[in-house]
Parts: sequence; structure tokens; C-alpha cells
Amino acid sequence: MDKPPLALDQNFSGASEDFPALLRRKGMLQIAPEPTAATGTHPFVQTESTTILAFKFAGGVLVAGDRRATAGNTVVYDRADKVLEIDRHSIMAIAGVPATAWEMARVLEHSLQYFRRTQLQEMSVDGKVRALSKLLRDNFGFVMQGVGVVVPIFATYDGNSKPEARLYFYDAMGAQFEVTDYAATGSGSPAVRGILYYENNWGAKKLQELGEEEAVAIALRALDTAAEADTSTGGVDRGGKIFPLIKIVSREGITTLPDEKIAGVFKQKVA
Amino acid sequence: MIEEPYRWVEAIANRREYIETQLAAGSPIAAVGYRDGILFVTLGRARQKIFEIYDRIAMGAIGHPGDIERLRLAAIELASTEGFTRSAADVSLRRLAHYSLSPVMKSAFEQVYGAPFLARLLFAEIGSSPKEDLFLRIDYDGAIAADGLTGQPRQRFAVLGGTRQSAELMEKFLQKEHVTAAALPDAINVAFDAWSVGRMAMGEDATKELPKRDAIRKYRDEQLANAGMEAAVLERDRKSAIRYRTLADEEVRSALQK
Repeated sequence: MDKPPLALDQNFSGASEDFPALLRRKGMLQIAPEPTAATGTHPFVQTESTTILAFKFAGGVLVAGDRRATAGNTVVYDRADKVLEIDRHSIMAIAGVPATAWEMARVLEHSLQYFRRTQLQEMSVDGKVRALSKLLRDNFGFVMQGVGVVVPIFATYDGNSKPEARLYFYDAMGAQFEVTDYAATGSGSPAVRGILYYENNWGAKKLQELGEEEAVAIALRALDTAAEADTSTGGVDRGGKIFPLIKIVSREGITTLPDEKIAGVFKQKVA
Repeated sequence: MIEEPYRWVEAIANRREYIETQLAAGSPIAAVGYRDGILFVTLGRARQKIFEIYDRIAMGAIGHPGDIERLRLAAIELASTEGFTRSAADVSLRRLAHYSLSPVMKSAFEQVYGAPFLARLLFAEIGSSPKEDLFLRIDYDGAIAADGLTGQPRQRFAVLGGTRQSAELMEKFLQKEHVTAAALPDAINVAFDAWSVGRMAMGEDATKELPKRDAIRKYRDEQLANAGMEAAVLERDRKSAIRYRTLADEEVRSALQK
């Protein structure tokens, strides 16, 4: 038997390896196992109990999420952060099982930084989008077992691409869908999609033409509407003064809107 | 033959001499603390010599590009996995240098049948206050130095030179000229002056004494006109966890005084 020729990258441990592969080599990250007879396969259940939304407006991409975390029909937490910064120009918003989703965001965040540091260049938008897709695919074993489903939205801004603002949503298997105007996932998303579709077609302005304040008002109205019918969506807690988390990504980077600002818009245009 | 202790010592001495010759032509690197952080500068040809290792850690290196690359990747890998499994706050330059890089470099250097690392590394880690900043050098034999060559403890700058003389003169210059509370443009000037001193102390017509101020500036401007520059900062108060930032060419050139 002839030995196969030595592949070039066998001589290098780091250069061609992505961060999840490095973690797996060190035993720090496992691919979710496919269901076995013992674990059983469960019918696919929609357990992403939350509402997250994102749309492009004049000032970039707005990403918003409610703050409620539920277990079954119990509210366990009312200050959950579901809109997470991945790098200077990328936001991942998560609907799904928090343990898996936050870990996935952590892996993704480290992956992009690891790539920039080792390769001495930023990862392309397509590369980032694909990296998240691979993480979702690696997690699909847990989805099949009825645990660990994650359905994220990914928003990023790239000064070198056309259009500059890019927005994607995913399914639980890792398929990515780029959208031109808006995306919403989670249990409260049907209502939100209805609102955004309506606003974009028959509203006073198209979503992409909205100013920041108008965009925030629509995001708040949409989340409030979702919470009206969906028990798993927190909407706005008027008594506790807990507002949705809203982040905006633009050419300058990411800004998190302070509560006072959201409260101001809420008081004027929503309540 | 290497089993005999005397031969081993001789082999190590030869190896040291060989590596020193290889490193002697390396363009110096200066790292200086300033009001808002730590600045790294060097001048050279196309190859990058200043790198981001982790959120608060930067590295400068001279030596063989292949060896620098292996050490750089190892440092990033270690810091990234530590930062991922624990937290960014648990990534420490002191542990990275003492427990990981230094032992590996030492054993590569002393195993005379294998190849040593042809590299000299300069690290800096930015803390939450200037008192917590750390400058650290690791030599090709694994020796770690946190203080200056001339024995000054806790100085807020560090240098890397191809030769001892070059590094010592740079330190001497910085001891005189470096101001901890300087703004970034002033720090850029001092750092490039220090680089020039280090460069003037190399080669055949090397200076042994600190050159005069005019001579330094004249030499610096000649070099800046011809060579590519490289500068990066670790900034203390940034909103982002990532403190490393490469300075653009225009930002550096506009700060340089005539």
C-alpha cells in the first residue's frame, strides 16, 4: 500500500483550522449526537418561545428582542438579553433554548476574533454567515432529541459590500436566508411579520426610509403586539419599567439604545 | 558525542552564537506606555511585526518569520481557548509567558538535535490602571525579562533589538525621554526616536553612545521616507473589550514632528 502524499496543511496546526475545530481537538466542544434508540426521536416542537425582530432603516439595521425567558408555562426571567454583539459590526439575536443559544453566540464571537487574529484580516460577511450556519448544523442532533433548538437572526454591516447592511435569518438546521427588508423569529413572530409587512407596503414610509425614532416606535409596537397574544413574549413591562433590548448596527459600529431613550419613544408613540 | 557534558555546553554556546548572528539584523521594536494606553512601533519592509494576541495583549517580534508565526499562533490559540472556557479576564500574559511559551522555547533551544526558535518576542498587556500594565520579553532560549536590560524595575516601556547594544541604547534613550503621561502624538514621536536610536546602534558604523537629538531626527526622517512603518496601540478605556487597534499610516505621519 502506498502512503497517501502528505497534505500541505498537515504541517500546520493553526493556519487552516477554524475555532470550533480547535475546541473540538482540545475536547472543549462536542458535536451534538444524533438521537439513538435510548434517547429517542421526538417530534419537532416549536420551543423558541420569544420574539426577536430586525429590519433595515435609514440609519442601519435595528435589532430588537423582548426580555422574557420561559420554561414551559412559567416565566423564569424577565431581563434576558437575546440581542448579542458578536463583533464590532455584527449582531446575533436568538430565539430558542438559552443554554444552547448563548453558548453558540460565544463560540461564534470567539471564532470571528480567532480568525482575525490568526489570519490578520477580517472574516468576510459570507464567511461569518456560514460560520453560524455550521454551528447550527452541528447542534441539529440536539434539535432531533427535542432539546436545544435555536433559530437566530444575524445582522451585520459591511462597508465593502452592496448593500452595506446585511440581514439573515436561519432555520434550526442551519439554512440561511438573506432578506432585503426585515426578519422575525420566535413564537411571537407571526404577528410581528404581519406588522412589518404592512408597514413596509402601506405604512407612511417604507421601513428602509425610517428615521431612528420612527424605527424604534415600530419595533416597540411590534413587540407589544406580539406579547398581546403570545404568553412567551415579554413585550414592555410598564410596571417594572423593563423595556425590550434594541441595538442598531451601522457603518460606525453597534449602539445599544439606553432605556431612557426607549422609554421616551414608548411614552410618546406607543403607550 | 553530545552525551558528554562539555560537548553539550559547547553545542549550546555555538547555537547561541548562531542565533545571535541571525537576529542581529532585526529592525528594533519600541513599546511605550502613554496617557491612554500602550503604543508599539517599528519600521521595516513589508512583513508585519506587531500583532494582536488577545483582547488586552499585543506582541512584537523579530526573527525568522516561520518561527514567529508558530509562536504567534500558539499564543493566540492558548489565549483564545482560555478566554472561551473561562473568561477574557482569566487570560493573563504572565501565565501565558511563564507556563506555556518559555518552557517550550527553552527546551527547543536546549535539545541540540532539534531546531530552536529563531525569535525574540516582546509582549505587553494593558491593565485597568497603568500600575497593572505589564511589559515582558521572551528570548529564544526561553529567558523571560519583565524589567529593563539595564536593571531598572517597573519602567513603563520596553524595547526589542537585534543586538544587546541596540536594545541598551534604546532603553537609555527612553529612560531620558519617555513621559508616562504623554498624549499619543508625543508618544509616537518618542517611540520613533527610540527606534531610530536602536537602528543607529546596529551594523558596521554603529554608534556606541546616544546620538545627538538632531542626528536622531535626521536619521528618523530619512528612514520614514523610505521604509514602511507599523504602529498599534492597546487602549485602556475603550467601550469594546478588544483594546488592540492598528494605527493608520496617516494618523502616525500627522503626529510626527519635524
